[in-house]
Amino acid sequence: MKQRHVLHLYWRAGFGLKPKELLGLSELSKKNVVDNLFKESQSVVPLSKDLSYLKSYPQSVLKNNKEKRKELLNKNRKETRILNTIWLKRLETTPRVLRERMTLFWANHFVCKDLATNHIVKYNTTLRTHALGNFGDFVKAISKEASMIKFLNLNQNKKDSPNENFARELLELFTLGEGNYTEKDIKECARAFTGYHYKYDGGFRYIRVRHDNGIKKFFGEEGRFNGDDIIDIILTQKQCARHICEKIYGYFVNSDINQNHVNKMVDVFYGNYNIEKLMRYVFMSDWFYDDVNIGTKIKSPIDLIIGIQRTVPVYFTKTNELFRLQNLLDQFLLFPPNVAGWKGGKYWITTNSLMLRIKLPSMILKKESYTYQYRGNLKNLRIVSVKNKYQEKLTVYVDWKSYRESVKKLSLNTLKDTLILCDINRGTERYISSFGKRPSKKNLVKLMSLPEYQMC
Amino acid sequence: MKRRKFIKNSALATTMAFVPSFLKAFEGAFPNKFGHKNLVIIHLMGGNDGLNTIVPINNDIYYNARPKIAIKKSDTIKLNYEIGFHKSLAPLKRLYDDGYLSIINNVGYPNPSRSHFTSTDIWHTASDHENILETGWIGRYLDNYGRKPHNAIQIDDNLALALRGERLNGIATKQAKQLYRSLQESNFNSILSHYDNSHLTEHNLGYLYKTMIDAKSSARYLYEKTLDSKLSESYPKKSSLASQLKVVGQFINSGIDTSVYYTTLNGFDTHAFQNNKHENLLKVYAEAVDAFVKDLKRNNTFKDTLILTFSEFGRRVEQNYSDGTDHGAANNIFVIGENLKRAGFYNQLANLKDLDDNGDLKYEIDFREVYATILNNWLEVDDRRILNKVFSKLNFI
Repeated sequence: MKQRHVLHLYWRAGFGLKPKELLGLSELSKKNVVDNLFKESQSVVPLSKDLSYLKSYPQSVLKNNKEKRKELLNKNRKETRILNTIWLKRLETTPRVLRERMTLFWANHFVCKDLATNHIVKYNTTLRTHALGNFGDFVKAISKEASMIKFLNLNQNKKDSPNENFARELLELFTLGEGNYTEKDIKECARAFTGYHYKYDGGFRYIRVRHDNGIKKFFGEEGRFNGDDIIDIILTQKQCARHICEKIYGYFVNSDINQNHVNKMVDVFYGNYNIEKLMRYVFMSDWFYDDVNIGTKIKSPIDLIIGIQRTVPVYFTKTNELFRLQNLLDQFLLFPPNVAGWKGGKYWITTNSLMLRIKLPSMILKKESYTYQYRGNLKNLRIVSVKNKYQEKLTVYVDWKSYRESVKKLSLNTLKDTLILCDINRGTERYISSFGKRPSKKNLVKLMSLPEYQMC
Repeated sequence: MKRRKFIKNSALATTMAFVPSFLKAFEGAFPNKFGHKNLVIIHLMGGNDGLNTIVPINNDIYYNARPKIAIKKSDTIKLNYEIGFHKSLAPLKRLYDDGYLSIINNVGYPNPSRSHFTSTDIWHTASDHENILETGWIGRYLDNYGRKPHNAIQIDDNLALALRGERLNGIATKQAKQLYRSLQESNFNSILSHYDNSHLTEHNLGYLYKTMIDAKSSARYLYEKTLDSKLSESYPKKSSLASQLKVVGQFINSGIDTSVYYTTLNGFDTHAFQNNKHENLLKVYAEAVDAFVKDLKRNNTFKDTLILTFSEFGRRVEQNYSDGTDHGAANNIFVIGENLKRAGFYNQLANLKDLDDNGDLKYEIDFREVYATILNNWLEVDDRRILNKVFSKLNFI
């Protein structure tokens, strides 16, 4: 398989490759590379988060103790941030890159935000469990997750006083896409999802007396539907398969949707709703490797950070710095901006975020100073060269030994081809040729500081 | 909570997005408008308690609903039988007496959101609650009429949604010097000194280069324009809002091509023991605005400046059990300027007998009518192109 194609696959389906990994995989056939990608991601390993602190907060105690509830809320705030770092570590180190990538994708499809750390862990596990599974099972599982039930007010959706928040997003964002249903559909859908609630431990709780057991009319069918029935009816709509295929195409292939390609994906996906089969089809397609699709996507902040770390292992010793970076780059995992998630693409880029992104490799790898003011919302990092009292360097540990090992006997050119996928600006190409021939630390940072490195 | 794409109401947004010569400055329909009229926005973040700000001092409903946190009549600066300013607002009272302040009551929108994030997004994007747009109203102002990122500046490190457009974003900076210096270091300049613009395309990579070039030119522009001016010493120290307005003052007094400035004051989410906190916040607000107005007046730029203060929502009429208030709905906003058509109270205080189901104030004026008025009457642009809907104009300006 062509080296450039392997790298493209591994950027979209994973988080890039180290130079020697790339050279190794390029020896194999496309089928072998793709098979291998799926094989590596077969197992599901939940994020391992210690939740033993919850033992001090049994439900019986919380019920009548406001102080204790508040205490737990504050505790959870901290613990969720720790979970964030655990997830980032996983992204950096996992060999199951495809499952991790799919989990990220679905987390931005079934967007959800919660305060209860144990519920978030459970939600995240559901995402990774179904990430390559059956889409119908996936939607049903999501609709019964405590975090989702709270986030879209399903617990307030009762017979005679329905709350349409979940119903609307189910149709609009999760399955059919805007404009493919009526307001009446939403109302009927909401009725079917009445009675949903959750248990303290995050399990699903169904309150029968709150359920509206009447007849609902939904997409031409009539019956005493419950939530799962509604999802089954949605799945019969080809539009559902189309909506998901378009979203997958937009994320994994190109934000410019090619309807011919999407049509073929829909043919593969509709009916069986097998996500793994769909993804395998995409990665095996010739058009996936068309030049218009390679190196044309703007990396998300997480892609950028993880990409650097996967080339050179970096350990953040102060987790606050990692939070600050995510916040400044506008992608704080587990804290999506709203129910539609991160928009991605050009939306990642503002003057400030781009300056920070260009500077990021220097900050992490050369510990170039940056300055910030902490005002409580983590949004106040700024970069200056003047020395003043706020100046700070990232307190990271960089494993250069491992990097040197990974580029041993390689040329700068090989390193460049591992780091940069897009066509390089002609002037910038000349600039790179002035670097010399060695994949030194300095040259690595220079390559990673190029706008071209922002693309994947 | 939902977001949808801004429906492109004109061919402009698409055809102008990246014309072949996209590196050239955009030739807008209204050239040379920037810098003549300034709009300064102050966002009181967290949801300011409007009722304890402009106090209905003879309203029993107010005093009964807030037994522990209602502002006593004697703790206000009395305007008349009905109304008193919170005592922290003495400087604002002077602006009021001079005819520079217009207070618009009961501003909000239908089906109000009580989430900070959603409601902030709604105010930033000028959206309906049911249909939240992806670009900010100032961003769309830039999309339609802007040429450079520095046509709208936020005094911060991060750019609020309000200033994000489809084609053009505003710029966020805390100080022109620092923005400029940060570009001098690292690899930023060496990259820009090598790129070959004849090979830039309109695709994503081209967009990155364009953003870098814009950043550089805006940073240099702001740096050079403010080189000879100093930050004024006359602002309160250790005040986050004052330090932002001080920079705005420097920009305005330097006569730069910027029409919108965006600043924030955080901390208004007063769920518990709110009175001391709120008193301090209002003091910080009023003193900062006072210093700002004086600074502009000294430089003869106040006449060209309009200051809009808003908060994402007001607070519940009834206090909670923690001597604070929970998220509410409609609220008052302040407009400050020399050229007000209707200074003082634009409309009546809220009717506390007529609350919504949540016990919150009902809105009487849609906040987008305020935006439309400012866009149309102050910035002299077609508000419909930016708000994508027709809103009636108010006559405060």
